[in-house]
Amino acid sequence: MIWRLAWIEWRRLMRTPLAWIVLGLGLCLLSWQFLGTLEAFSGMPANHRNLGLSHHLGMQLFGLASVLILIITPILTTRSFSEAFRNGSYALLSSAPLSTLTILLGKFLAIQLFQILIVLAPLLLSLTLFNGTQLDLGLLASASLGLLLLSGSFTAIGLFISVQSDNPGIAAAGSYGLLLLISLLDQHTGGGSFIHWLAWPSHYLDMQLGLVRSSDLAFFLLLLLFFLGLALHRLDKRRRG
Amino acid sequence: MFGDALQWLFNILTTTCILLSMPSLLTATKLSRSFHTTEVVEPLDLQLAARDILGLLGPNGAGKSTIMRMLSGDLSPSGGRIKICGYDLLLQPKQAKRHIGYLPERPPLHRDQSVDEFLSDCACLRGLTREQTRQARLAAKRRCGLEQTGRRLIRKLSKGFQQRVGLAQAIIHDPQVVILDEPTDGLDPAQIRQVRELIRELADERGVILSSHILPEIQATCNRLVILQQGKRVYSGEITPPEQLCYRLALEQNPDQALIAALPAVVSAERLHSDYFRVTLETGSRPSELVRQILEQGWGVCELTPETVSLEQLFLQATTGGEA
Repeated sequence: MIWRLAWIEWRRLMRTPLAWIVLGLGLCLLSWQFLGTLEAFSGMPANHRNLGLSHHLGMQLFGLASVLILIITPILTTRSFSEAFRNGSYALLSSAPLSTLTILLGKFLAIQLFQILIVLAPLLLSLTLFNGTQLDLGLLASASLGLLLLSGSFTAIGLFISVQSDNPGIAAAGSYGLLLLISLLDQHTGGGSFIHWLAWPSHYLDMQLGLVRSSDLAFFLLLLLFFLGLALHRLDKRRRG
Repeated sequence: MFGDALQWLFNILTTTCILLSMPSLLTATKLSRSFHTTEVVEPLDLQLAARDILGLLGPNGAGKSTIMRMLSGDLSPSGGRIKICGYDLLLQPKQAKRHIGYLPERPPLHRDQSVDEFLSDCACLRGLTREQTRQARLAAKRRCGLEQTGRRLIRKLSKGFQQRVGLAQAIIHDPQVVILDEPTDGLDPAQIRQVRELIRELADERGVILSSHILPEIQATCNRLVILQQGKRVYSGEITPPEQLCYRLALEQNPDQALIAALPAVVSAERLHSDYFRVTLETGSRPSELVRQILEQGWGVCELTPETVSLEQLFLQATTGGEA
């Protein structure tokens, strides 16, 4: 039933102009960044090239992709619950024979199905160079995995904020606030502190450089499960009133 | 010929037995709901059998929608139990919800979808297979008069048609219990009549609960009625008026009201204005007895009209005068 709901929600999302505008703009920006990175790298004298092209793509292209995911996610998650509460369409799901967990996971997967299109874009753009140059496929795979985990965690955070309010504006602002907060937590904190560890950029950076560490994987998975758990709790509480 | 008649009789008997032995479709026991410290619905018992159309009537804010939300599983009750077709809504929500069709006050529509897509998604969420979905969609559209609107976007439909789409999603999985919250709200008179007919049709095979704050709505559609006032049940019973005991009487002569009250069939008489009296009969007395007794007195009868206890009186009595 989870996949059935995810498929229905995804199809419904793809019928809206919003999805296509987001996808179109995202692809344009990523392609622009890709060409810019390529041009900068090819114009660089050989003795200045400390890092390979894959590293440059990992930093520049996947870096921009993470920012895009941060911007897109609240727009999608706000639709999922906050807007459904407001326009009354949530009753369709709450009166159907579906558990709260099924509803939450179905909506989560629907957004992930959409996010995967953005996650795959930098990978596919990089792979267009496969014939002309020697790419570090391991690094690209690691950066893509990082982007996927990042989008999952952001979606969980966005859904958690989305279930809090019937007002889509407040839900979107809240999601942006929380996402920016965990982006900036490492700015003025010491390297070893727990708060510093809570910021996602350092964990993602490892994966952008081809380093898959279990602590980074655990960070993203914990973030995802924690906020999904909170969202589930809130949804159940909402039913109880 | 005789065999056919026997078979017909057998079918009738079997159906009657099934209907009689069938437990009620919906039973709510001591259902209550509080928001924080405010009690919105006081403990309430409800029962719905097949072919029942139960109306919840009450002024705005009486708790009708809260009750509907609880019965549909959208909101958990603070106390009490709800059983739908034998399944406990709180303990076996999936099984119970399969038998519920719910149309909230605001139809839960996805306005960017076409009618066909929306109804297919609704059927799919109710667990119907692809082939069942196709059949169910056709049947629901036929029932709700949506045959011509399948490909149109919901946001482009008129309010009346959107309401019909809402009704279609509530019955697409052929539920036993249909819960309709103010189903005719905002419709024009012709559409109201169509929706009423549809509700009566639905109740041929299932139980329907509908809420409204409009008296004629309930009077026209329901066979049973619960009147609510500030979350409390103030009246519950059949919609047909109670035994008629009150009459308006006009006589050729003009006797004193005490003389009329002294007649054996009369409990009390009250002069309304110069020629009219309101007469209340003894329980079990018939108006013909009253007429005979008046004629025996030689007063002559000009007019004898039953004073109907309309739903409006019942409602006013119940909501302003406490327990009816």
